[in-house]
Amino acid sequence: MAAVVSVDALRKRYRRRDPWAVDGVTFALEPGQAFGLLGPNGSGKTSVVKMIAGLLRPNEGTISLFGSDPGDPAARAQLGFAPEDPDFPKFLRAREVLDYFASLLGLDDEERRRRIPETLAFAGLDQEKRQVRQFSKGMKQRLGIAQAILGRPKLLILDEPTADLDPLGRRDVRALIESLKESGVAVLLNSHLLSEVELVCDTVAILAKGRVLKEGTMAEVVPEGRTLEEVFVELVEASTPKRDQLPSFITDRDKP
Amino acid sequence: MNGALAVARYTLLELSRRRILLVFFIIGVVGVAVVGIGLKIFSVVSPVNFSVSGPPGSAPPDPAKVDRFLELIFVSTLINVVGFFALLVAFAIGMTAIYHDLESGAAVGIFSKPVSRLAFTAGKVLAAIVAMVVLVGLVGLEARLAMFLFGGGLEGALWVETVAAVANAVLLMLIVLALSTWMNNIVAAVIAFIYNAVAGVVVALHAQLAGGQLGDNAIVKAVLDVSYWLVPHELMSDAARQIAKAQFDVIPTSEGSPTVDQVMAGIPGASSLTDIIWWVFLVGLMALLVYVAVRRRQV
Repeated sequence: MAAVVSVDALRKRYRRRDPWAVDGVTFALEPGQAFGLLGPNGSGKTSVVKMIAGLLRPNEGTISLFGSDPGDPAARAQLGFAPEDPDFPKFLRAREVLDYFASLLGLDDEERRRRIPETLAFAGLDQEKRQVRQFSKGMKQRLGIAQAILGRPKLLILDEPTADLDPLGRRDVRALIESLKESGVAVLLNSHLLSEVELVCDTVAILAKGRVLKEGTMAEVVPEGRTLEEVFVELVEASTPKRDQLPSFITDRDKP
Repeated sequence: MNGALAVARYTLLELSRRRILLVFFIIGVVGVAVVGIGLKIFSVVSPVNFSVSGPPGSAPPDPAKVDRFLELIFVSTLINVVGFFALLVAFAIGMTAIYHDLESGAAVGIFSKPVSRLAFTAGKVLAAIVAMVVLVGLVGLEARLAMFLFGGGLEGALWVETVAAVANAVLLMLIVLALSTWMNNIVAAVIAFIYNAVAGVVVALHAQLAGGQLGDNAIVKAVLDVSYWLVPHELMSDAARQIAKAQFDVIPTSEGSPTVDQVMAGIPGASSLTDIIWWVFLVGLMALLVYVAVRRRQV
């Protein structure tokens, strides 16, 4: 089966003197597959997905998105990307944002009339009349997911999709991912919530300092009798200096 | 094309909801109304303040010429108000139209859609120019209506100056847009403001040089000639000259004072075709710079 997206020996750094933010990452994603990209803060997860979405240019390596370079707008026609901490033109309303993005996706009037109300209802924003600048972080996150699925993508990238969602929102996102997987959509999930990743992802890659520490199916990465969190902590701690203990002013409570 | 139009459409919708543009529009509308109605009321209530006289013993000025002079002052003031308003709008749009999308993170969602950076830039520039034309056009129209208070005859000068104000402001706005894609929008506005002021000084000095008022020092001439082609040339009608000439018609000159020709030589005339071609070139160049800045930008 042809890969929806394949990433080969990807390297990225933001300034010449900086260390590599992404260093030799390679993976491929097939239709109907859910791939979890895990790693501590600053491990390069968001840089990887932004390069796949054509937002950042890699220094080295190649990305094939539906057989083309992500910089080609046509390659992004079947991509849905829900960024971490999403934002939108702040004086627009949720419906207008979706109509704007539907125009960019090239949806005709009939499709817009059909999809926008349904997408708004899914995101729980169908009754929302305020402008985006008055939205909470959770509402923006829901709108971010809504705009990502609006174009009925064949690849959905979710970067920390549930970070600001309430439990109901998280449940809806899990159901969305399961449903999309069944219909053949490939899902790339960046998340700190390992239990969530364990529930929905078929394959995972654990990153630290821009490098892939371990990659494979869930069964390959997580041996029987262990949890993904245990494996993650063990791998990440082995690759990074141990963090300092709690501050002394917290632990030494008896001292003045 | 559809992508550019979608960007333009929603940028215009956003601009229409920005309070700062509304405030600037109110300032422009009130400014023209105050100048128009206020000057008329003042001239009717206190005509003595508008009387002009020549040297002792000279004949009193022709009332028709005085009326003409008043109208010229009126038009000159309106032109300044419209020009100032256009500059405010240029900064308000230039500082926000692209910068806020890039800084807020809205560009992440937009650029991940199948829209090219060229279409995004074209849409933003189109929306910015349309907003500028509409806002300054409305204030120019109000100024035109206010001119009915003073009779007529100089509508052409006002329209030409309004078009020139829009053209000058569009160029300034593109400079701010291009800079604000590279850097903080307030810093961009300050740099554009200083550049615009320096350009004004260079153009004025060049006009004086051409009029022979700065002597014939070869170094000064070479420096000003080179500088002149490094800055935008503010487009203008010959309204300033008309006003100066009318002043001479109304106020007889005394012996020893500068002649009409001497004064005229120091006042910039209507923009030449070369100036207009230079403006078109600079607008194209700035639009290209905006595109290059947007294209290079990683979000």
